[in-house]
Amino acid sequence: MSVFQSQARVVLTLSWRNLWRNSRRTGIMLGAIAVGVWAMIFMTALMRGMVDDMLNQGIRNLPGHIQVQHPAFLDDPSVVNSIAEPDSEFRASLDRLGAVRWSTRIKVPAVIASERETRGINLIGIEPAAEDDISGLPALMDTGRFLESDQDQGLIVGARLAERLETRLGKRVVIMSQDPANNIRERGFRIVGIYRAKLPELEEFNVYAARDTLQQLLHIEGRVSQIIVVGDDYRDIEPLYQRLRQLLPATLEARAWYQIDSYLAAMFKMMDGFVLVWIIIIFLALSFGLVNTLVMAIFERVREIGLILALGMRPGLIVYQILLESLLLLLIGLAIGNGIAYASIKPLQGGLDISAVAEGMAMMGASSVLYPKLLAADMILANVVVIVLGIVTSILPAWRAARLDPLRALNAT
Amino acid sequence: MAKHRFDSATRIYQLMQILLLTSAACCSAQAADTGDPRELIRAAMQHWRGVTSYSEMTMTIHRPDWQRSFSMQAWTEGDKQSLVRVTEPRRDAGNGTLVKDKSMWTYSPKINRILKVPASMMNQSWMGSDFSNKDISKSTDIIDQYDHRLVSSETRDGHLVYTIESIPHEDAAVVWGREIVVIRDDYIMLKQQFWDQDNLLVKEMNTTSIEFMDNRHIAARMRMYQLETPEEWTELSVDAIDFDIDVAESLFTLSNLRNPRQ
Repeated sequence: MSVFQSQARVVLTLSWRNLWRNSRRTGIMLGAIAVGVWAMIFMTALMRGMVDDMLNQGIRNLPGHIQVQHPAFLDDPSVVNSIAEPDSEFRASLDRLGAVRWSTRIKVPAVIASERETRGINLIGIEPAAEDDISGLPALMDTGRFLESDQDQGLIVGARLAERLETRLGKRVVIMSQDPANNIRERGFRIVGIYRAKLPELEEFNVYAARDTLQQLLHIEGRVSQIIVVGDDYRDIEPLYQRLRQLLPATLEARAWYQIDSYLAAMFKMMDGFVLVWIIIIFLALSFGLVNTLVMAIFERVREIGLILALGMRPGLIVYQILLESLLLLLIGLAIGNGIAYASIKPLQGGLDISAVAEGMAMMGASSVLYPKLLAADMILANVVVIVLGIVTSILPAWRAARLDPLRALNAT
Repeated sequence: MAKHRFDSATRIYQLMQILLLTSAACCSAQAADTGDPRELIRAAMQHWRGVTSYSEMTMTIHRPDWQRSFSMQAWTEGDKQSLVRVTEPRRDAGNGTLVKDKSMWTYSPKINRILKVPASMMNQSWMGSDFSNKDISKSTDIIDQYDHRLVSSETRDGHLVYTIESIPHEDAAVVWGREIVVIRDDYIMLKQQFWDQDNLLVKEMNTTSIEFMDNRHIAARMRMYQLETPEEWTELSVDAIDFDIDVAESLFTLSNLRNPRQ
C-alpha cells in the first residue's frame, strides 16, 4: 500500500467522521442541498414540459412544421393569394418527400352570423382525413361529429364562438366572405360539430369547413391557400425543409415553423440557456449555506487543525480533507435530491392539472395540464453544476484552514 | 363615426329593397289570383322590374332616451339599381350609397372617398338601428333561397291578404329559421316576421300606413323593432314618390355617386 493511498484513506476517514460530528448541522445542510437539487430538477422538468407543450401546441395551431404558400399570402392572407392545388406530379413528389403527412388547406378571413350576433373569423377549409396529424382537431371535438369528407357540407365551430353567437350544435349560421373578384360570397352552414381548443381564444376565431365546399363557395375551384407538411419531430425539421425547398417552383414559398412563428423559435432556442441559468440561480442560494457550514466546521476545530498541522500533516492534505468533506456532503445531498425529484416527477407524468391558473397559462400559450418532462441531460447538468461549483465554493474555506499558523491555532480559545 | 355613416348606407339600401317589395302597384295581380306563394312573391318582385322611381324619405331611429331622423333622396331602377343620398341633418348630408345588383359602394364627402362595401361590413348594424341586413337586402334571393308556403288568406278592407311562411334552404345565406310575410293582393307587404331556429319571434316589421301616391298605393310608413326591446324601433316613411321618371344613363354610376348631377 503506497503512502499516498494510506494518506487518502486516513483523510477520507477523518472527513467522514467530521461530517457526522455535528450530525444535526450536517442533516440540515443535506436537507438544503436535497431540496435545492430537487427544485432544480423538478422545476426544470416542469418548464421543459410546459415549453414542449407550448411548442407542440403552437405548431399545431400554425399548423404544420412547414407551410407552402403564395409569397404574398403572409402579408395579405386573402383569397387572391391562393396557389394551385398540387397536380399529380407534384403530389407524387410530395409523397416521396418523407414527411409524415401533407395536406392542403384554405384559409380566408370571413364573417359568421347567427340570428343575434355577427363576428369576424378565420375560415379554414380542411381535408378532414389529414387533420389528425396536422392540427389534432378531431381529438378536440366536444359535441357533434367531425367533418367526414372533403365535400362535407357541415361546419365546425369553437365552443366559445357558439356561445358568443348564441347558437349551438345543429343550428344554421351564415358564412360570408369574398371571392378573388371581390364579390361577396355567402351561404348557410349547419353546425355539425363543436370543438374545445386547449387555448380558448382559438375557439373564437377558427371555424372549419371541408375544403371542396369552400372552394365552391369562394369560387376558387382547384386552388388552395396553403400546403401543410408535418415531419417526424419538430426539433429536426431542417433536412425535410431543404428537400421540400428544392422541390418547389420559384412561385411558391416554403417556411418552417421557426420562421413562421419567431416567438416559438425563440422559446425553443432559449430553453437550454434558461435551464442553466435557473440551476445556477438555485445553486447560488445554496452555496451560501454550503460555505457557511464549512466555515463553521472549520472555526469549530481551529485548535484541532492546529494540532494536526503541528503533528506534521501537510497543508495540502488539510485542503484535501475539507474538500472531501464538502464533496461527501454534496454527493449525499445530490443522491437524496435526485431521488426525491425522480419520485415526485414520476407520478406526475400523466399530467399535472393546474387549471386554477389556466387563464394565465393560456395567455402564454400553454394548456392547463402540465406534463413534466424529465430529461437525463437536465439531471446530469444539475448534478455536475452542483458538484463543480460546490467544490469551487469550498476551496476558500479549505484554503483558509490550510493556511492556519499551527502555533496560533493551538492557542486559540 | 365614419363607420356608422357607412353602415347607414347599407341600411338605406335595405330600406330601398323593402320599399321595392312593399310599395305596390295599381294593377295586375294574376299571381295573386292563383295563390301560389312562390309566384306571389315573385310577382311582387317582378312588379318592379324596369320601374323607375324617385322618392323622398325620412328614417327615424327611436330609442328610449334619444331619437334621430334622416332625410334622404332615392332613385331606383327595377330591383337591381338604386342610389340613395342623405340630405338632412347637415352633418350627414351628401353621404351616398350606390347599389348595382349585389355590389355596393358608399361615398362620404368628409373623406371624399368612394368605398366598396366589403362582405364583412354587410352585416353590421347602423347606430343600433333595428334594420338588420340579411333578412331583406337581397331582393331576388327571397324567391330562390326559400321554400314558400301559403299559410292562410283572408279578406281585409276589400283586399285579399295572404300570409306566407318562407323557410330558407339548408345552404341559404339566411340566419332565420323561418320568415312570415303578410302581403296584400296589390303587393303591399303588411308585415314581415323573423323567427329564429328555436321558433322564437326575434323581430318584426309592420306597415303602419298605406297611402295613395302618384297613382299607386304604397306602404308609406314601416316600422321595424326587436321583440325583446319594443321601445326601440326604426321607422321609414315615404314623404313623396314619383314613378316612371326618366333615368339618365349616368345616374347609377360611381362618378355620379361622388359628384351629384341631378
